[in-house]
Amino acid sequence: MQAQSTARADIYSRKRLIFSSIIIFVVIPIIMLIGVTIFNDRKYNLISMIIVLLACVPFFVSFERRKPQAREILTIAVMSAISVAGRAAFIWIPAFKPVTAITAITGFAFGAEAGFLTGATSAIASNIFFGQGPWTPFQMFTWGILGFIAGLLGQKGWMKSKIALIIYGVFAGIMYSFCMDIWTVISYDGLFSWKRYLIAMSTAIPFTIVYVISNVVFLLVLAKPIGEKLERIKVKYGMLNN
Amino acid sequence: MKAFETYHPIVLFAYFASVIGLSMFYMHPVYLLITCIGAITLNLLLNRKSFISGLKFFLPMFFIAAIINPLISHDGEIILFYIDYNPITLEAIVYGFAMSIMICSVIFWFGCYNVVMTSDKFLYLFGKVSPALALVISLTLRLVPRFKHQITVISHAQKTIGMDISAGNPWQRVKSGIRIISILITWALENAIETADSMKARGYGLKNRSTFSLFVFEKRDGFLLGIILTLLFINILGSYFGVTTYYFYPTFTELTVTPISIGLYISYASLLVIPIVIEIREAIKWRSLKYNM
Amino acid sequence: MALIEIQHVNFQYPDKQERVLDDINLTIEEGEFAVLCGTSGCGKSTLLKHLKREIAPHGDKSGVILYGGTALADLPDRVAASEIGFVMQNPENQIVTDKVWHELSFGLENLGLDTMTIRRRVAEMANFFGIQQWFRKSTMELSGGQKQLLNLAAIMAMQPKLLILDEPTSQLDPIAATEFIGTLQKLNKELGLTIILVEHRLEEVFPIADRVVVMEKGRIICNDSPQDVAQQLKAFDAYHPMMLGLPTPVRINNALQINDVVPLTIRDGRNWLTKHFTNEVRALDGKLSAANPTDDIVLEVNEAWFRYEKNAQDVLRGFSMQVRAGEIVSILGGNGTGKTTALGVMSGLFKPYRGKVFVNGKAIKKFSNGELYRNNLAVLPQDPLTLLVEKRVQLEFDSIIDVLGISKEAANVQLNEIIKTLNIGHLLDSHPYDLSGGEQQKVALAKVLLLNPKIILLDEPTKGIDAYSKEIFAEVLRALKKRRVAVVMVTHDIEFSAQYSDRCAMFFDGNIVSEDEPKLFYSGNNFYTTAAHRMSRHLYDFAVTSEDVISLCKHNQQLEQTSTPVNV
Repeated sequence: MQAQSTARADIYSRKRLIFSSIIIFVVIPIIMLIGVTIFNDRKYNLISMIIVLLACVPFFVSFERRKPQAREILTIAVMSAISVAGRAAFIWIPAFKPVTAITAITGFAFGAEAGFLTGATSAIASNIFFGQGPWTPFQMFTWGILGFIAGLLGQKGWMKSKIALIIYGVFAGIMYSFCMDIWTVISYDGLFSWKRYLIAMSTAIPFTIVYVISNVVFLLVLAKPIGEKLERIKVKYGMLNN
Repeated sequence: MKAFETYHPIVLFAYFASVIGLSMFYMHPVYLLITCIGAITLNLLLNRKSFISGLKFFLPMFFIAAIINPLISHDGEIILFYIDYNPITLEAIVYGFAMSIMICSVIFWFGCYNVVMTSDKFLYLFGKVSPALALVISLTLRLVPRFKHQITVISHAQKTIGMDISAGNPWQRVKSGIRIISILITWALENAIETADSMKARGYGLKNRSTFSLFVFEKRDGFLLGIILTLLFINILGSYFGVTTYYFYPTFTELTVTPISIGLYISYASLLVIPIVIEIREAIKWRSLKYNM
Repeated sequence: MALIEIQHVNFQYPDKQERVLDDINLTIEEGEFAVLCGTSGCGKSTLLKHLKREIAPHGDKSGVILYGGTALADLPDRVAASEIGFVMQNPENQIVTDKVWHELSFGLENLGLDTMTIRRRVAEMANFFGIQQWFRKSTMELSGGQKQLLNLAAIMAMQPKLLILDEPTSQLDPIAATEFIGTLQKLNKELGLTIILVEHRLEEVFPIADRVVVMEKGRIICNDSPQDVAQQLKAFDAYHPMMLGLPTPVRINNALQINDVVPLTIRDGRNWLTKHFTNEVRALDGKLSAANPTDDIVLEVNEAWFRYEKNAQDVLRGFSMQVRAGEIVSILGGNGTGKTTALGVMSGLFKPYRGKVFVNGKAIKKFSNGELYRNNLAVLPQDPLTLLVEKRVQLEFDSIIDVLGISKEAANVQLNEIIKTLNIGHLLDSHPYDLSGGEQQKVALAKVLLLNPKIILLDEPTKGIDAYSKEIFAEVLRALKKRRVAVVMVTHDIEFSAQYSDRCAMFFDGNIVSEDEPKLFYSGNNFYTTAAHRMSRHLYDFAVTSEDVISLCKHNQQLEQTSTPVNV
């Protein structure tokens, strides 16, 4: 009975994973492509926002469907709140944010979906405190997807080595920077232009560097101890093993 | 100035979604002008202090973005001069400014949105779509200030055993900061178990959970929502027929003044001034109430 | 009718040898106010959690718990969730949502009630508990007492028939705690609500309880009316650790061989004292043990003024104080008087904008952080967990020794001595979060002591720990005193400060308004004074602890019994 139900839960979570992966890696690029070819009225700023919001929907839906337990809700809320509040400990360095690292670590420990939700929730919550803007959907999606990727990598067991953490940290820093500028760039040129993007990027280089450094530092220093803490919680309270 | 924000969250959200969506959509100079004036006026009414302090950040961004455009884009027919054999065109300059106006207006509208759509309204709407995630967000919102306070408490305690985030070289300070985060995470996770128990003890996880809110949808909400949606529909219709389309390249579209276009300008402006009208009407009402008392 | 019947319940945690609950049999009648007590680790919290199905701990359990005649396990989910309410210790941790109104409705949403019903119940609760003023506030803005009241209200909104509370007042200040207990009494008296309360501050709940249950090592050792329990406990073991937690009149009664109804309240205690003892000897002689004025002044604050922000109000207004080596000083006062801020100024965390602080004769400003907190001054924060970061206690000590940069051998000698003084040798391999509150405090203190301080500042060291642990903590203080360490503590705990400090200071409005040796200090106060003094001041002078009253009684003549003893 017990074994059967865990097996079913396993299949369910695998299905969800496949479903979400398809949406993210297949459906959304297709929508973007269609958007670019069919509408040539250069209104991609609005369309891109809608697409990015849509991209978050499958995660929310599957979270909703599964009727999450109190402890899952708490873990995501706690990790998101830490990533938002954690900035207070580094207020003296501009743009030094622990959000990406903490989202990623949550992903390593609790899987892709928890990673996505932690990232997206952090974005919503931090924008409630600091003000929503056109960047909100992009930030939601970027942090979410970074957490998601971290979850996938973590489940494969690839994130144990320092080099993997460093590569991920650099990648995440650049990707975050990239996604933050995308809306302005799209607004100006209708569609995405590398030329303008590079210019926008170059003005943001100092920030990108700080993102990268903060990600790498946080991941190297925090990944192991926080991972252990999360494991302890998992073991002590029999969490998340359906 | 508190009349507009007392409307039902659905109405408020419909308003901002329409206005922000349309603002992003329109590059027509008249529309841009209406958007910009509307956004600034409402900000001055609702959000004066932080709006004015935010200007010193947005204005430079506005100019830089506007000036960069002609350097990148060399489309357009009216060439003013050349830089390094690259033509600088009037169209590109104007387009740059138009774009900056659009982006700033959108950001300004979000400024009003942030004042009006407080977290409980946002959560109410979000809860309609995704109740479980709305609960996660509500918990997060409650935990953030708690954690911030705890960070202060922990950093004080750490300082008294010689680990100070405000002293030492940058690397030591980063290390102390990370140490604080580490203590915070353990503390937070262990405490969260009790919160989870408190949720379960109060029946979280039972089937058929309902959602409660203090918001009541009144007749005036329905009325205003109707107006907003009608105006939105008129404007979308107008764009569909291309009345609002405006091109900067290869050169400026001629501005046409027809009864239809004037009607559309007015309908767009009426949509934008809704909150302003409501605020003014309320102010007049209170004044007369005061005199009659 | 019995609402709860616990029959032969045994329980042990997985991978643990000893039973946490050992053959528990207990019946709670409908409408009863039952108090469950015992020293920490006796199994009382585990028993409580077994009464609330949703949060019952996992492990090997046998026996049956009946709720209204039905086995708890067979109750429908909805009934189990709504009819049994559970309030926990920490007010913060129980709050789920960010708005007061939402918190009140949270349980009702879970039950799936419709908006109209929820609206009505929430309104009812807000009225009953006086929450209207802060109904739309954010939960973070509330005080600790308000938060706990909100937790209670949120549970009462679900209309429980049984209310279970696990040390609900341990994190509250005395005024909020009294208010909370008063609300419980009102719920019990006016609504006939059945209440099971675990508490270690028995002073207030003992007189209002219908039944007191005492547990020890997983067993129930007493289960009767408060008067009878007081006598049974004495018969069971006159030196039982639980005796320390009993209300002062009960303890005084138990220490003296009087055959009469046990007094539970101060009022009864006064009459009891008049009835049984003369007052020919009004005061104990013996010198008042004030600090030796020849000792060095190690900490001095001189006319300090402090505010948190430029435009805020002053929190400290010309605060001055001197502390001598080997002295234990208590700073008392209500919430918001600035006493914690005063501690912050003494510890160098806050800098006064006027006035000076001297540590060992040197201005605090002239110390670098490294110097100040090493071999000089240490702070034990209210929450010991803010100091603990590692996964084993031993690693905590290692990490601080690394920072100290002294030789391993020297450090180990020092560490072993501290471990012996605090008696924490058996905890070295545990995770700090698996320890009890009192143990965590000792570990944090050990960590701080490694810095070899001459002055220790303590912020509410006795908050949330039981009477027995307080006694142990007092021994630690004595050991520090012997090492000539000066101790300054900020506390709400009148009884503790009267018993163990050399000097008490009353903090009010940013300043110390009176300070004296405890006997003079408390006998000079009328309201803000110990239970023993309130009970005995009509007969005796300068008796501020129950020990004082007991020995005065022994010095005086015992009056003849005029009537035969009656037991209620």
